[in-house]
Amino acid sequence: MAPPSGLQQSAIPSDFETPYPALVRSSTAPVTLMNGQRHAHHRPDPSHLSPEDAFTSASPPRRPGVFDVGNASGSEMRPRRMRRKDDASRSRSRRRKRFQKLLWVKQSYPDNYTDRATFLENLQRNPRVQPYDFWPLVADSTVIVQHVCSVIIFIVCFVGIFQERVSPVSVVGWGSFATFMGWLLWDWWVGQEEQNGAADGVPRAGSLGREFRPPRRQDSEIALPTLNASTTSIYGTSNMPSAASSSTNLAQEQHSQRPALVGNNITNGSSLLIPRHAHSKSTSSVQSATSQTSAAHARQNSDAYAESINWVAPPPSRWGRAKQRLSTIKSAVLITFTLLGLSPILKSLTRSTSSDSIWAMSFWLLAINIFFFDYSGSWVGVHKFPVASLSTNAALMASTVLASRLPSTGQVFSLTLFSIEVFGLFPVFRRYARHRSWRYHVILTVLLVLGAGGGVGVVLGGEEERGLPWKNGLIGMIVGCLISAVAMGGCSWWLIGLQKYKNEIYGPWDPARPIIISRRHWDDE
Amino acid sequence: MAPTYNIAMVSDFFFPQPGGVESHIYQLSTKLMDRGHKVIIITHAYEGRTGVRYLTNGLKVYHVPFLVIYRSATFPTVFSFFPIFRNIVLRERIDIVHGHASLSSLCHESILHARTMGLRTVFTDHSLFGFADAASILTNKLLKFTLSDVDHVICVSHTCKENTVLRASLDPLMVSVIPNAVVAENFKPTFNPAETTSHSFSQNPPPARQLGPHDPITIVVISRLFYNKGTDLLTAAIPRILENHPNTRFIIAGSGPKAIDLEQMIEQNVLQDRVEMLGPVRHEEVRNVMVRGHIYLHPSLTEAFGTVIVEAASCGLYVVCTQVGGIPEVLPSHMTVFAKPEEDDLVAATGKAIAALRANKVRTELFHEQVKTMYSWTNVAIRTERVYNGISGAISEADFYGYDAANAASWSATRGRSGVQSFALIDRLKRYYGCGIWAGKLFCLCVIVDYLIFLILELLFPREKIDMCPDWPRKVVDESNGRKEGAR
Repeated sequence: MAPPSGLQQSAIPSDFETPYPALVRSSTAPVTLMNGQRHAHHRPDPSHLSPEDAFTSASPPRRPGVFDVGNASGSEMRPRRMRRKDDASRSRSRRRKRFQKLLWVKQSYPDNYTDRATFLENLQRNPRVQPYDFWPLVADSTVIVQHVCSVIIFIVCFVGIFQERVSPVSVVGWGSFATFMGWLLWDWWVGQEEQNGAADGVPRAGSLGREFRPPRRQDSEIALPTLNASTTSIYGTSNMPSAASSSTNLAQEQHSQRPALVGNNITNGSSLLIPRHAHSKSTSSVQSATSQTSAAHARQNSDAYAESINWVAPPPSRWGRAKQRLSTIKSAVLITFTLLGLSPILKSLTRSTSSDSIWAMSFWLLAINIFFFDYSGSWVGVHKFPVASLSTNAALMASTVLASRLPSTGQVFSLTLFSIEVFGLFPVFRRYARHRSWRYHVILTVLLVLGAGGGVGVVLGGEEERGLPWKNGLIGMIVGCLISAVAMGGCSWWLIGLQKYKNEIYGPWDPARPIIISRRHWDDE
Repeated sequence: MAPTYNIAMVSDFFFPQPGGVESHIYQLSTKLMDRGHKVIIITHAYEGRTGVRYLTNGLKVYHVPFLVIYRSATFPTVFSFFPIFRNIVLRERIDIVHGHASLSSLCHESILHARTMGLRTVFTDHSLFGFADAASILTNKLLKFTLSDVDHVICVSHTCKENTVLRASLDPLMVSVIPNAVVAENFKPTFNPAETTSHSFSQNPPPARQLGPHDPITIVVISRLFYNKGTDLLTAAIPRILENHPNTRFIIAGSGPKAIDLEQMIEQNVLQDRVEMLGPVRHEEVRNVMVRGHIYLHPSLTEAFGTVIVEAASCGLYVVCTQVGGIPEVLPSHMTVFAKPEEDDLVAATGKAIAALRANKVRTELFHEQVKTMYSWTNVAIRTERVYNGISGAISEADFYGYDAANAASWSATRGRSGVQSFALIDRLKRYYGCGIWAGKLFCLCVIVDYLIFLILELLFPREKIDMCPDWPRKVVDESNGRKEGAR
C-alpha cells in the first residue's frame, strides 16, 4: 500500500485524486460478515427495496429506464450528470469510476446521487418471520382452549353450588377423585420415565456436562416455603420465583438442544424429586429447593459438574419414592385441614362487599388468569413447576372472593379446594400430559370442551327444566364443540391472513445485537 | 459572483453543551461564514447562556428561552416557538433555515414555521433510528411530518441516508450525503524529537514509528459508556485481550451508566495496573489521551458516522471498530480492522491489529496527513453550499437533481417534493396529507393552524415594525480559490 506522502499536505481537498486503491464496500467488509445471514440475500432478491420504493408506498414493480441510470450494467451509459464546462474531459474520466459507498473517497458524483446498485442493498424485509402453517397453529391453540375450558368448568361449578343445584361435596369429591387419579397416573408416568432414564441417563448426563455453559445467574437464595395461613401464598410466593428463573434460564440455554436434553432433565429431576402433587406442594417445594441448590452448585463450574452428575445419577431407591409419596399425602392432608380451618374466615371475608363488585372483581381476576397464563409448551423437567404466578394468584383470589359469596362453610371449603385443584394442579398435569403424548392431549382437550359446553348448557338451561338437564347438556356440548372448532380454526386462519401486513425492516442502521459469551448481567439493557 | 445567503442554523443542541452535533453546527457555520454567508444559530437557553451571544468570527447565537425536558431537548409545543422565530428570521433577513438533529423539536418546529413563512429549508440528520420500538415509531412519524415539506435533507453517511429515506419516505435525490469532518490541526499525532527536524521538510513522509516486539501497546477507548456504545462488548473483551497479549494496556475515557460494569470487571480480574479509567474528558483533551495509545478500539453498536474514529486515525492510531451503521464508510481499510459486534470477533480483530502493529506493517505515522486530505470542514461547507444553491435555484434543477428533461415527466410525483416546491398552502397540505390515514389529517390541521398563527402575527406584529439588525461585515470570498474548490 502506498499512502500519499507529505506532497498532498498542501493540496486543496478538492484536488485530491483518490490515491488509495479503489475500494468497494465488499472489500472493506470482512468476509465472515459478507457470508453472514445479513448478506444472505443479494441484490436481485425481491425483498430488497429499490430506491423508488422508498417514496411510493405500494412498491410497484421496478420500472427500467427511470432509475436504471446507475445500474451496474451500463457504466458507459452513465447519465451526463453534473456536467461541467470547465473540466468535462476529466470529469468524464472520473465518471467511469464506480460509485462507492464510502465517505473518505472523493466521489465523482454529486452528493445527492443515488446509486441504484448499492442503495439499500443491505435492507432486509421480514428476515425473521416464520410463516405459520394452519394445522400446527390449530394444534397449538388447543392449549388455550384447554385453559379457557377449565376456567369455564370452574365457573359452572361455582354457579351450580351457588344456585344449590349441585352438592358441593360431590363437586369436591369428584374433583379430588380426579386429582387423585391424575396423581396416580403421574406417578406411574414418572416411574416409567425413571426406568427409561436410568438405563441411559448417565452417558447423556455426561454429554450434558460438556455442553453446559457457565451459568448466567445463580439462584442461590431459595425461598423456603412456609405453610401460610393463606393458601394462595403457598402457590404464589414460596418456591415459584426461584423455579421460574431457573426454568427460564434452562429454557433459554437449552432451546436448541432440547430434544436431546428433555429426557435428561427428567432423569435428573425425577431422580431427585418426588412427583409433584397438589397437596404435596409445601413438602415437595422444599425438595425442589434442595434440588435447585444442588443444581446451582453443579452448574457453578463445569469441571465440578461431572462429579455432581455421578452424585445425581444413581437411580433412586424404591424406598425413596415411597417416602416421597408418603410426604405428598401428608402435605395433602395438612393443606386440606388447614383449608377446612380457614373456611369460616373466608366465608365472612367479603360480607360487607356487595355482590356486584364481587362478580366484576372475579371476572377481571379470571380474565387476568387467562391472559397471563403460561401457555408456552416448553417442558423443562418434572421438577420445574410451570409458573405463571400472577395468573395463578389471580385465579385463587377469584375463587376466594367467589367462595365468600357462598352461605355455608362446607361450600366455601369445597369451592376453595376445587379451585386449588383446577388452577394449581390441573395445569401441571395438562402440561405433562401434553409432553407425554399428543393423544392424551387431544383426548383431554375434547373432554374439557365437552365438559365446559355441557356445563354451560346445563347452567343456562335454567331450573324450570329440571327434568331434562341432559338435553341442555347435550346441546351445550355440541355448541361448545362448534364454537371451539370455529374459534380455533378462525383465529388461526385470521392470524395467517394478518401475516401479509407484516413489514419489518432491518438494515445496517439497527443497533447491532452484541454476542457476548461470558456475560454476567443478563437483565440490564 | 457566487450567491451568498443568510442562513439560520436551528437546533436544540449547541454549545455550551459538548457533543458531535454541536461541534458540527459550529464548524459548519464558521466555514460558511468564511465563504461569505451570514450565519446565525438559534438554540434554546442553557444554564447561564441566555439572550444573544456572539462567538468567534461573528457567529451570532440566539438562546431562546424554552422548557428543556430530556437531555437538553425542548418540549415539543409545535406553535409556541413561532412568534419569536418569526421575529428573529425577519430581523436577520434569513433566506434558508437549516435544522439539525432529528431529536430536536426546536429544529422540527422551525422547519414547519419556515415553510409557512415561505423560506427554504434544509435538514441535517445525524443519527440512525430503527423501525421496531415504540419510541422510534413516534420519532419517525414526527420526522415524516417535518420532512414532508422540506427542500433538502443532508445525511452524514450513506447508511444514514438510507435510514432517513426510509423513515421519512423521501425521494432519495433530495437527500445528500455530506460527512462530518474533523479539525485535523486539533488531532495531530505527537512527534518525537528526531521527527521534528524531518518534519520541516514537508515533502518527506515522517519516519515510521518502529515498534519492538516487546514494547508495550496501549489501546485507547474513548466513548460514553452506554449500552449502545458497546460497553458490554468492551467489558467482556478486555480481560481476554489482556490475557492473550502481554505488554498491552488499556486507557478508557468517558463516563456513563456502564462504567460500574467496567470497574467491576477490573476488580474481578485484578487488572488495575493494566486498565486505566480516566473518567470523563473534555473534548479538547481527547487528543492528549489519544496520542498516548497505539490502537483505538471502538466497540459501538450503532453509529451514524463515528467522528471519533476519524479523530483517532488523525492522531495516528490504528482503529479497531465494529462494523455497524455508517462506520465501514468512514475510513479506508488500511487504517482499520473491522470486527463483528461479537465478543470473539472483537478479541480476534484486536489481536490482528496488535500483531500488525508489532510487525510494523501499519504506517500509522502517515494517517494524519491522509485523514487531513479526506475530511475537512471547508469541504463540508462547499458541499453544503451546493445544496443551498440547488434549493434556491442558483444551480439549475436538472443540474442539481441530475435527471434529464426527458425523464422529468416520470419524476413529477417527486418533483413536487424536491426543488421547485410550491409554497401555496394547498400544495403544502397535499404533501402533508399523504403522511398517513390519521396522521395526515392531524398534520394538515397543524399546518392550517400554523398558517393562521402566521396571519395573526402579521397583523399583530407587522413586518415594518421589526428592526432590521445590522450585519456583521461579511468576509469577501477569495474568488479564485472558491471557484477552484467549488469545481472539485
